Amino acid sequence: MLHKNEIKLEQHGFVTLLDIQGDITAFSEPYLKEAYENADSQGASHILLKMERDIYINSGGIGVLIQILAHTKQKNQLIGITGISDHFKKIFGMVGITKFAKIYDSVEEALEMMA
Amino acid sequence: MIADLNQHTVEVILSNELGYERIAMDCSASFAKIIGCPADRIEDLKTVVAEAAMNAMQHGNQGRANAKVTIYMGFKDDTINVAVIDEGEGIRKFPPKPDIAKIIDNIDPPIGIGLFLIKQLADQVEFKQRIYGGHVVKMAIKIKRTG
Repeated sequence: MLHKNEIKLEQHGFVTLLDIQGDITAFSEPYLKEAYENADSQGASHILLKMERDIYINSGGIGVLIQILAHTKQKNQLIGITGISDHFKKIFGMVGITKFAKIYDSVEEALEMMA
Repeated sequence: MIADLNQHTVEVILSNELGYERIAMDCSASFAKIIGCPADRIEDLKTVVAEAAMNAMQHGNQGRANAKVTIYMGFKDDTINVAVIDEGEGIRKFPPKPDIAKIIDNIDPPIGIGLFLIKQLADQVEFKQRIYGGHVVKMAIKIKRTG
């Protein structure tokens, strides 16, 4: 099964934005890990994960996101998530992701609140 | 007891390939749209179908390439009934509810998230060994959730 994520890193003041293209599943692990490590090696203190609104996120992908949250917690980095649909906002609340990463309705809101 | 799938039944047979759960997920969304299911419940249905199909592939069929996952969908009394059948022996021990704080602190393994989502989003879930072999997860999703 072909699966690839393209992740662009953008710096917006204090906030490092990871613009994630594609579905988030267990297959996303190497792509997200590499993007996070790049951001971390550049000294990121505030990380914003931007996802596409209509993507498919499954439990494997949630597991990958939890790994990123573990790293950000260890390194005392602030992390936020934006771009997801209302359904995945609900799912992230159920699983508890929202205890560790704030969900924002837009990039603009996230950049304002995280700055 | 979840209703038998004898009305408006759709059958999807999948090869045991991770990623193919999306085929069942998209079929379930099409089926739910046809019967007039609200958008938020279609999203819930898509997640439970995808997670149950993935569990069937990974845990039920244990990743065997020649195994199949069969999914039935039916609609009766404002409820979508889904059965996901694999060729395995069922769940011997259910994982506890995932505790994200413990997973993040590496105290608990990151398991049971799919099953947790199924239990949260479906109105009823049953796990049964089949008489002639294999295991079935039956799920009921009311198209309008009460409470």
